[in-house]
Amino acid sequence: MSALLKAHNLNKHYGKFQALKNINIDINRGKVVGLIGPNGAGKTTLLKAVLGLAPCDGDLSVLGIDPFKKRAELMKDICFIADVAVLPKWIQVSQLLDYTEQVHPNFNRNKAEDLIAKTKVNLKHKVKELSKGMVAQLHLAIVMAIDAQLLVLDEPTLGLDILFRKEFYDNLINDYFNNERTIIITTHQVEEIEHILTDVVFIKDGEIVLNSDMESLTRDFFEVMVSQDNYEKAMTLEPLTVKKVFGRYIMLFKAASRQQVEILGEVQRPSVSDLFVAIMKEGQS
Amino acid sequence: MKNRMKTFWALLKLEFWEHKGSFFKTPIIIGVVLVVMALLSYFTTDRIVLDVSGGDNLQLAIGSLQQVSDDKINFALDVLMLMTGSLYHFILFIVVFFFLLGSLYDDRKDGSILFYKSLPVSDTQTVLSKIITAILVAPVSFVFGLVVSHLLMFIVISLILLINGLNPFTILWSNVSFIENWGAFMVGCLVQALWALPLYGWLLFASSVAKRRPFLLAVFAPLMAGFIWYWYNALVNLNLFKFGFFQTIGMLFAKATTPFATGIGHNDFENVDFDPTEHTSGEVIHNMLNGLMQIELLYGLLFATVTIGLAIYIRRYRNTV
Repeated sequence: MSALLKAHNLNKHYGKFQALKNINIDINRGKVVGLIGPNGAGKTTLLKAVLGLAPCDGDLSVLGIDPFKKRAELMKDICFIADVAVLPKWIQVSQLLDYTEQVHPNFNRNKAEDLIAKTKVNLKHKVKELSKGMVAQLHLAIVMAIDAQLLVLDEPTLGLDILFRKEFYDNLINDYFNNERTIIITTHQVEEIEHILTDVVFIKDGEIVLNSDMESLTRDFFEVMVSQDNYEKAMTLEPLTVKKVFGRYIMLFKAASRQQVEILGEVQRPSVSDLFVAIMKEGQS
Repeated sequence: MKNRMKTFWALLKLEFWEHKGSFFKTPIIIGVVLVVMALLSYFTTDRIVLDVSGGDNLQLAIGSLQQVSDDKINFALDVLMLMTGSLYHFILFIVVFFFLLGSLYDDRKDGSILFYKSLPVSDTQTVLSKIITAILVAPVSFVFGLVVSHLLMFIVISLILLINGLNPFTILWSNVSFIENWGAFMVGCLVQALWALPLYGWLLFASSVAKRRPFLLAVFAPLMAGFIWYWYNALVNLNLFKFGFFQTIGMLFAKATTPFATGIGHNDFENVDFDPTEHTSGEVIHNMLNGLMQIELLYGLLFATVTIGLAIYIRRYRNTV
């Protein structure tokens, strides 16, 4: 299977600050990739390069196209929601649909209207009359009605309440995602999208520090409940993090096999957010 | 090609929807205000004074209409229509001025550029749609607005005539030169667009490049440059071309706001005022078209091409959100 997105030695400088450092990544079709990193890590810079919004050095191809050179052409097959509430405020919902229908060859208006009908958004509303959550629903409805190969979501649910967020991702996975499509998501609320991801990419200070599918993640990392008795022994295996909870220790290991850590205590699959925190702290201490 | 035309048409519609208030409602509101002012002056004076045209002609015409010849009424109506036309040209320029200042800036400020750039529309098309909106969509809306305003005025005048026992059809409607006067306004819009194009290009450029407050950039950057140029020439070059810069801008502004006068006073344009009582609408059209033969227009169009090109470049490669 050929990669849908190929990045080779991507670099990006803002003056002396290097926002991306030698990024190498391939993303295949049918994946849901979580791009996760702290603020200022370079997530948005990378996404902008992928979307053709900003130039960068190195080789980058999306669907076989150099995004910055041919943004308009690429946008026939890519959709993105770059931020919450970026729809023009003055526009009426029906005008928004008219416009998108006229400029986008892969837009299915009926589908968009069906999706909108499930929300409280009315076609006669202006965007500025809608709440932030409704704007996000409307934008998602438009994006889901576009038959695209890659969907990029950059913090699509920032500032929305938990009900909206949950519904947003449920709709995305149930009604939109299939094996032909690829989704890249960045968010701070990792725990909410963990269950829908097939791959995670951690990015820190402009570098990719982890690029793994969810299965190998469970294969390589273990969270172990260690009792006081096994503490010394466990520490010799160099846990990534140690938390003390109710007289026991919760330790995160990167280990070659499950057997190696099983003797220390009860083993669980670590959450992506715990893993994220552990990996981000690595090297700082 | 067909798809591009469809996209471009959609972009023009988008601009019209967004600026319907200023393009479409402004001329009609002004028409209504003019009519209301006329009515107020009619009802608040004992005599029948319709002072909208500011001329004695109309007053005279209404005062003793039956004795006045059709020529004179026709002339008075021409003056009224050309004056309102000239006023509408001026307001159109102001409206387009602020439209262009915001056109490549507002969507960057509120983030909606991210939505626009998520669609398969090229930045060249986007920028060109703004300039076409400035030189065609807004003027067409104003032509419509002027026609509606004129008709409204004539209807009100007809009612006043009827109240006074006069026949509006023989006195008024048969004496209105609709085609010449509206034609003069339409040609005026075109001539205005051509003369204003370098200013429009500059505004687009300022709008695309400004980090904040495009107005300051658009207005004060040339002022600063002009002052530097002025002092440089005054001090170093001993006054050789000291007025050139401001004179050019002044001339462009004058021509962009009063297209009716663009054909008169080639060399001494700043001192020419448009006086509708001195020209018939036919002469105005003729003068305006003759005025296009000036070499300055060509320089202006070249400057416009460069600035619009720069605006496209910046939108494409520098407005990276």
